[in-house]
Amino acid sequence: MGKSGVIKWLVSLTVFSSFIVIFYLLIGGDKTELPSQLINQPTPNFEVSNLTREGVVHTQNDFKGKITLLNVWASWCPSCYVEHPYWKNYAKNKDITLVGLNYRDKKNKALKFLREQGDFFQWNLFDKNGRLGIEFGVYGAPETFLIDPEGKIRYRHVGVVTPDVYQNKLLPLIEKIKKGF
Amino acid sequence: MIKRMIILSLFFVSLNSFAAIDVYEFDDPTLAERFKVLTYELRCPKCQNQNLADSNSELSMDLKQIVYEKLKAGESNEDILLFMKHRYGEFILFNPEMSKSNALLWTGPIIFLIVFIIFFFRWYSKNRDMADE
Repeated sequence: MGKSGVIKWLVSLTVFSSFIVIFYLLIGGDKTELPSQLINQPTPNFEVSNLTREGVVHTQNDFKGKITLLNVWASWCPSCYVEHPYWKNYAKNKDITLVGLNYRDKKNKALKFLREQGDFFQWNLFDKNGRLGIEFGVYGAPETFLIDPEGKIRYRHVGVVTPDVYQNKLLPLIEKIKKGF
Repeated sequence: MIKRMIILSLFFVSLNSFAAIDVYEFDDPTLAERFKVLTYELRCPKCQNQNLADSNSELSMDLKQIVYEKLKAGESNEDILLFMKHRYGEFILFNPEMSKSNALLWTGPIIFLIVFIIFFFRWYSKNRDMADE
């Protein structure tokens, strides 16, 4: 191969490689980390019962006027047992209101979970058939949504909210929302 | 007589197909067909690479139930797909529609192929010229 042949070969290789990179960026990566479709959009409208308080029904308006961390959990979710103790600490943050979305669970098992693992939630939504979860675009449990005082979803985390996630993903955004952004 | 009755009843047993784990019943065959098409076109959001039809995950069951209810309520295919897209994004469609963001995905291979062919012909004609000398 002459010099120009080598150059052409290199160009083809570069073009090919860049396509590989572009394809990977577009369709590769961990699909469980897909950003929520609802970022910067208002939470869906809903009417769902409270898990622990008989006769109490919640709507989307219950998210307004405060910064909410909405944690999707269930007694059948193994990772939720790992995540749940962390909420004891995160709930101490006076800037946020911790709300639970009990997803596709049996009431007695959910109540047992709270009794045994501790109840750090301000209140819990009882999403018995998982339809509210689907409105939020939930894949499963655990997932956590950060909702601003206007009721807009600002962030969604799939999986356990480890201290690393809390410190580096949630707290900075909470600070930003506090400042009015 | 009894033997005949047994054989006859066996025919009825074999007429049922238990292929689906859950059965979504439609009186209207066009609805049943639309259900089949939609659950083939919709991806199970949390599976590796399965459509709703093939997936047994709980989320897939829930989404199939929603497709079923919406079809019975008279919603169009477009409405149902939009419902899913609004909550789970383009990814929920197995065959994503052409859009600005995936235009490169669709045209990329063609562009690459054209570039390759151009280079190939240039190399070919150059080498052919050399052979003629």
